[in-house]
Amino acid sequence: MVLVFVEHERAELDELSLQALTFARGYAGGEPVDAVVAGEGAAEAAGALGAHGVATVHVAEHDALADGYAPQAWARAVAQLAERLAPAAVIAAGSDRGHELAAHAAVMTGGALAANCVAATPGEPALVTRQRWGGSLLEEARLHGPMKLLTVAAHAVEAQPAAGGEAAVEAFTPELRPEDLLVRVSERVDTSTGGISLADAPVVVSGGRGVGSAEGFAALEELAGLLGGVVGCSRAVTMAGWRPHTDQVGQTGTKISPDIYIPCGISGATQHMAGCKGAKKVLAINNDPEAPIMAGADYAVIGDVNEVVPAITAELRRVQEG
Amino acid sequence: MAASLVSAAALAAALIVAGTLFTRRARLLVRLLQMGKPPGIERSDAVPDRVRQEAVVVLGQRKLLQRALPGVMHALIFWGFIVLFPTIVMAMIAIVDREATLPWLGGQEWFALLSDVFAVLVLVGVATALWIRKVVRPARFEGSHLGEADLILALISAIVITLLLWHASRVALGLNEYDAGAAPMANALSGLFGDGSVTEVLERVFVWAHVLLILGFLAYLPHSKHLHIMSAAVNVYFGRTRARGRLEPLQFDEEAPEEDMRFGIGTVEDLTWKQMMDAFSCTECGRCQDACPAYATDKRLSPKLLIMGVRDHLFAEGPKALAAHETDGAYDGPPIAGTSVPEESIWDCVTCGACVRECPVNIEHIDHIVDLRRHLVMVDSSFPAEAEPMLRDVERQSNPWGKPQAERAAWAEGLGVRVLEPGDPVPEILYWVGCAASFDERAQTSARSTAKLLQAAGVDFAILGPAEACNGDPARRMGNEYVFQAYAEQNVETLNEAGVRRIVASCPHCFNTLANEYPDFGGRYEVVHHSELLAELVREGRLSPAASEQAITYHDSCYLARHNDVLEAPRELAAVVGQPIEMARSGRRTFCCGAGGAHMWMEERAKPINEERVREAAATGAETLAVACPFCTVMLDDGVKGTGGDMRVADVATLLAEAVESGGGAGSGAVSRD
Repeated sequence: MVLVFVEHERAELDELSLQALTFARGYAGGEPVDAVVAGEGAAEAAGALGAHGVATVHVAEHDALADGYAPQAWARAVAQLAERLAPAAVIAAGSDRGHELAAHAAVMTGGALAANCVAATPGEPALVTRQRWGGSLLEEARLHGPMKLLTVAAHAVEAQPAAGGEAAVEAFTPELRPEDLLVRVSERVDTSTGGISLADAPVVVSGGRGVGSAEGFAALEELAGLLGGVVGCSRAVTMAGWRPHTDQVGQTGTKISPDIYIPCGISGATQHMAGCKGAKKVLAINNDPEAPIMAGADYAVIGDVNEVVPAITAELRRVQEG
Repeated sequence: MAASLVSAAALAAALIVAGTLFTRRARLLVRLLQMGKPPGIERSDAVPDRVRQEAVVVLGQRKLLQRALPGVMHALIFWGFIVLFPTIVMAMIAIVDREATLPWLGGQEWFALLSDVFAVLVLVGVATALWIRKVVRPARFEGSHLGEADLILALISAIVITLLLWHASRVALGLNEYDAGAAPMANALSGLFGDGSVTEVLERVFVWAHVLLILGFLAYLPHSKHLHIMSAAVNVYFGRTRARGRLEPLQFDEEAPEEDMRFGIGTVEDLTWKQMMDAFSCTECGRCQDACPAYATDKRLSPKLLIMGVRDHLFAEGPKALAAHETDGAYDGPPIAGTSVPEESIWDCVTCGACVRECPVNIEHIDHIVDLRRHLVMVDSSFPAEAEPMLRDVERQSNPWGKPQAERAAWAEGLGVRVLEPGDPVPEILYWVGCAASFDERAQTSARSTAKLLQAAGVDFAILGPAEACNGDPARRMGNEYVFQAYAEQNVETLNEAGVRRIVASCPHCFNTLANEYPDFGGRYEVVHHSELLAELVREGRLSPAASEQAITYHDSCYLARHNDVLEAPRELAAVVGQPIEMARSGRRTFCCGAGGAHMWMEERAKPINEERVREAAATGAETLAVACPFCTVMLDDGVKGTGGDMRVADVATLLAEAVESGGGAGSGAVSRD
C-alpha cells in the first residue's frame, strides 16, 4: 500500500496532489493507494477521492487540526498513520506544503526522504530520479530503510482520473504534542493585489526611482487598479525601501510576462530588463528619451511620471464612466 | 656544588612540566593538521618567493607597518624577542651555575647593549599596546578576546622586567661578564641593589622568576590566540605568492580516491591544512574587519569573526573527528556553516580581498568563504534565492542575464569589428569582451570605445562573438564550482582551437579568471586589461588624446588593483584625459563597489556599499568618476543616482575615446583600419 498526503483548499483538491496520486498509482503497481487529508473541509475532500483511485481515505480529526495548516501537527498525524499502516512509501506533492510536511514526517519517523522525484521504482532500496537545481540536473538516488518518503516534482506527471468507486473513509485521531502547534495558520489575509500575483498579472505598472517617493506609488496603484493589474517596481525602489522586495521586477526579483507592461520612471538597467523580457507590449513613461527602457518599448511617453500617470488615469476614468 | 645540583634538578623538572604541557597541545594541533585535506593549489613551489615573503612579511613586518603606531608597537616587541632569545639560554645556564653564561656571546658588549636597549623597547611596545587597547580602543577589536590580550601583555612585561632586574642585580654583584657601561639600563637599575647577601638572594629570585615566566608562557602559548608566534611564520610561508585572485580548484575527477573528494567545507573534516593553519594564526587584531566593505555597511560579516568561528569549531569538533577516526568510526558532526559561522555572513562577502591584503599573518579568508559557499550551493542547495536565476542563466544561456547568446556581438554592429570564425588567421590580440560589456547597455559604451580606439591605433584584433561564453566567475564566486569548471573547459577549448596567445579583457573579473584561473584548466595566455593595452598605445604615440580640465577621480576595481596589481595604467589614462584626484582609499587599499563575489546578482541588506563609495568619490570634488570595470560602472552609476549626486561615471576607455576624438584621432604613423 502507498499512502499519499493530499492537499485541498476547503475541500477543493489541489492539482499537484492529483499529480501525486497519479504518480503513486504507478509506484504502487496495482497495490492499493490510500490518502490522508486534514484541515477544514477534509471530510468533503475525502468523498471526492474515490474518483482518483484512492482505496481508503484517512481523515485526521483533532480539534487543533480543524483551524488550518500547522506543518508539524499535520506531519505528526501523517507520521503516526504511516507508522501504524507501514506503507511501501509516503508520497506528497512537490508543493511548499508537501515538502514541508514530508520533511517533518521524515524526521519524526526516522525515514528517508527524496524530494522532487520525477520517477521512482519500488524495492529495497527504492530507486528514484529527482530534480536538482530547479530542474536543470537530474539525480539518481537510492532510498534505504523501512520508511520511505517521496515528494513528486511539480508537473512531472499529468494528473489522470482513475476508474474506481467510492473510497472507504476512516477517521483517526493523532496524538499531538504541544510543540507541534507552535507554527500554525492564525489568520488569513487577502493580499492588496486582490489575489493576482506579480508573475501572473496580465497588466503590470512598475515604478522606478523616477517616481520620487514611496507616496508617489499611490498614482501607480490607482492606474493598475483601473487596468486590472498590479504594481511592480525596480531594484532601486526596493533598495530605497519604498516597496517590498516581493514587488521587485528583475533578475533578482520576479520575472513577469504580462500582456501590457508599463514601466514608469525606470531607466531599464539590464538587471530590470532580465525580469520583464516576457512582456508582450511595453509602454514606457520616462523623461529621458535616451533611457535604455526606450529601446525595448513598443510605445513611449516622454515626460514626468508624476504628470503623465495621473493624466492617463483621469482619461481612463472618463472613458470608463462615459 | 650541591646547590647547583638542586637547581639543575629543579630546572629540569620545570622544563619537563612546561614541555609536557606544551607538547600535549602541540601534538593535538599537528594531528589536526594531518587530518587536513590537501589544498587545491601547490603551496610548496617557488621557494625563493616564499623565502622573500617570509623576510618581508614576518621579519620585515611589512603588513603590520601599514598602520604606523600599532605596526611600530608590534615590531618593537617582535624584534625585541628575537634579539632577547639568547638571554633565555643564558638565564637557564645561570640557574645551574651563576658564574657561567653562553660562551662568547655572553661576554660581548654589543650584545649586552642590544639586549638592554631592546628590553626597554619591548616595554615601550607593551606600553603602546596598552595605550592603544585601553585609551584609543579602536573598533577593530570588537568581538576579540580582550582579557586574553591583557594577560599576554602582562606576561610579556613581567618577562622583560624580571630580565632587566636580573641583569641589574648581576651588575650590582659584579657578575657581569661585560663592561657594565655597555648595558646602561641594567647599570642604572643596579643602583637599587647593594652587593650584600640580600642582592644575592634577589638575583636568584629574578632569574628563577624570569625562567618560570618564560616556561609558563610556553605552556600557555598553544592554548591561546598567541599561538600565532609559532604558526604565523608557517602560514606566511605557505600563502599565495602570486596570482592572488586565483581560487583553489576542486577536484571533480571521478578517478580520484573518495577521501580526497571534497565539495568545499561542510564539517571540520573538509578543512584543508592551510585553512587550519589560517585559523591557528589569527590573533584577532581585526585589521580585516576594519577594511571589510560588508562590515563597514552593517552586514553580518566580519572576516575576523568568521575565521575565529572556524577556529573555535576546529578546536571543538576536531578532537571528536580524530577520536572517531581512531576507533574506525565515521565522524558525523555538525556543519560549520550555520553553527560556528552564520550562513548570512558567508553570503555577505564581495570577495574584494581587502581582508586578505590587510592580514599581517596572511590568512586567506576568501578560500574559507568560497569553500563554505561551495558546500552550501553544491551539497545543500542553500543559497540566497534571488541568485538562482543568475546561476540558471549562466548555466543555460552562457551569460548571467539570460540574454540570447546569438546577440553577444550586437554591441559591435556597424563598427566593423572582426568576429573570429574557425580557420581564420589568429589576430595579434583577441578582445575578450565579457558578458557585461556585451549585454549591459551601460557597459557596452566601454566596449564600443575600446574597439574604436584599437581600430584608430591600428591594432589587429578580433572578438569571438557568440563563441565567447561567460568565464564562469559569478558561478564560481557564488560557490557553483561545477558550472564554473564546465565553462573554463569550454572556453579554454575555444581559445586553444583558435590558436589565441594574447588576450585583452575589458572586465577585471574575466581578466582575473583568464589570467590566473584558466591555467589550471590548460589555458595559458598573455592576458592584459584594456586599460593596460590602451595606456601602452598612448605611450607609443599611437593614440593622441587631448587632456581636458575635468577633475577625475579613479576608482580601483578590486580585481584589478588588489588581486592583480594593475594600478598605474588606468591612472596614466586618467592623467592624459583630465586632472586626476585620488580618493582617500585607493590603489591596493581600494573600497569595493559592492558587485564582487556574485553580489551583482544578490540583494543587498543594510547600507548599500556602492553609495558609501560614491560619497567618498564625491568628497574629492571630481566631476567624473573613472572606472575600469563594467560592474563598477553599473554599481557606482546606481550609487550616484541613489545619493542624488551628479558625478559622471565612465570607463577610462570611454574617456580616452572622447579625448582622442577631440585631440584629432590617432597618433602619427598609425594606420586606421576604416
